[in-house]
Amino acid sequence: MGEILDALGLNATVFAQIVNFIVLLIFLRVVVYPHIVKLLEKRQQSIEDNVKSAEEERQKAEELRRQYEADMQKAKEEANEIIQKATKSGEEEAKSIIKAANDESVKIKEQAKQDIEREKEKAVSELREQVAELSIMVAGKVVDEKITSDVQRKEINEFIKEAGDLPC
Amino acid sequence: MAAEEASKSMVEQVHESLNVWGFPHGPVDLGFGAINLEPVIMAWVVMILIAIFTVPPTRNMSLKRPGKWQLMVEELYNFLKGLVNENLDPRKGAGLMCLIFTLFLFLLFSNLWGLIPTMMSPTADLNAPIALAVMVFVLSILLGIKYKGVKYFKHFIEPFFFFLPLSILEELAKPITLAFRLYGNIYAGEVLIAVLLGMFHFTGTVLGGFIPSVIWYAFSIFVGFIQAFIFIMLTIAYISQAVEEVH
Repeated sequence: MGEILDALGLNATVFAQIVNFIVLLIFLRVVVYPHIVKLLEKRQQSIEDNVKSAEEERQKAEELRRQYEADMQKAKEEANEIIQKATKSGEEEAKSIIKAANDESVKIKEQAKQDIEREKEKAVSELREQVAELSIMVAGKVVDEKITSDVQRKEINEFIKEAGDLPC
Repeated sequence: MAAEEASKSMVEQVHESLNVWGFPHGPVDLGFGAINLEPVIMAWVVMILIAIFTVPPTRNMSLKRPGKWQLMVEELYNFLKGLVNENLDPRKGAGLMCLIFTLFLFLLFSNLWGLIPTMMSPTADLNAPIALAVMVFVLSILLGIKYKGVKYFKHFIEPFFFFLPLSILEELAKPITLAFRLYGNIYAGEVLIAVLLGMFHFTGTVLGGFIPSVIWYAFSIFVGFIQAFIFIMLTIAYISQAVEEVH
C-alpha cells in the first residue's frame, strides 16, 4: 500500500490541500459570496419591479388611448351632426331666399305690366283728346260755324271710338 | 535506452533550470508527514490570486452600472448557478453554490497558473486532485444521507443484493477517475511544455522552435478551462445522483 502511495506521489500533501481548499472556501463564503448573492437578489428584485411598473404603465397608457379614441369618436360624430344641421339649414335658407326672390320678381313684373298698361291708356286718352281738339279746329275751319261745338264733339267722339276700336 | 536516458535528463534539466525559486525536489517532512512543498505553496499563491480576483469587484457593488470586473464575477456566478440548477433542485442547489463557485475558481486558477513560466499548477501534483475528489465524494455521500436517510444505501443493493460489490466499485471509481482525469491533463500539459522547451536550442527556438510551444500554450489554456468545467460538471452530476429521488 505504502509503495503504491509512494509511486503515485501521494503523501500528507493531500491533507494540506484539503486544508487549503477549506480555508479558501471559508474565505470566499465569508468575504465574497454574500455580496454577490445579495447583489443578484437585489438586481432580480429591481428587474421584477421594473417589469411590473412597465406593465402598469402600459395598461394605463392603453386605458388613456381607449378614452382618447372614444372622445375622438364622439367629437367626430358631433361635428358630423353639426355639419349636417348647418347644411340642412343653409339649404332651407337658400330655398327660401330663392323663393322670396322669385315672388319679388313676379310682383315687380306685375307692377311693371300694370304701370305700362296705365301709361299706355293715359297716352291713348291724351292722344284722343288731342286728336279731338285738332279735329275740332280743322273742322271749325273747314265746316261752317253753324254747327255747335257740342254736336261736333259728340260726333267726333263717336268717330274716334270707331277708329280706336280698330287695331292700331 | 540511451536516447530515453538522454531525453529524461533533458526534461529534468529544463525543470532544474526553471526551478528559480529553489523548491526542494522530494517531499519534506515538517513534523506532520511528508509534504510536497511546491504544490502547497503554489496553492497558497493561487488562493491569494483568487482573493485578488474576487474581493475588489465585490466591494461597493453597483446595481445599476456594474463595472466590467464586477460583471465578470457576476456572470461567472450566474453561469455556475445555471449549471447547478439544470441538474439539481434549486432549493438543494442553493447551498452548494458557494462550493461550486470556489471549486471552479480554484481549479481554473490552478490549471492556468502552471502556464506561467517557473510556476507550477497545484493540480499538476496528484495530491490536490485527490484531495478535491475525495472531498466531493464524501460530500455527495453526506448529502445523500442528509436528504434520503437510510434509503440512500438502498441503491447499492438494487436490483439485487448481488450487485453490492459492483456498486461499491462504481462509487469508488467516481473520485478516482475525477482526480486522475484532472491530474493527467494538467501534468501532461506541463511535461510537454518542458519537453518543447528542451527540444530546441537557442537558435532553433528563434528560427521557429517557439511555434509548437505557442500552439501548445494555447491548447493548454483551453484544457485548463475545460478540465475545470468538467470537474465541476461531474461534481454536480455526482451530487445530483446522490441527492435526487429518481435514479
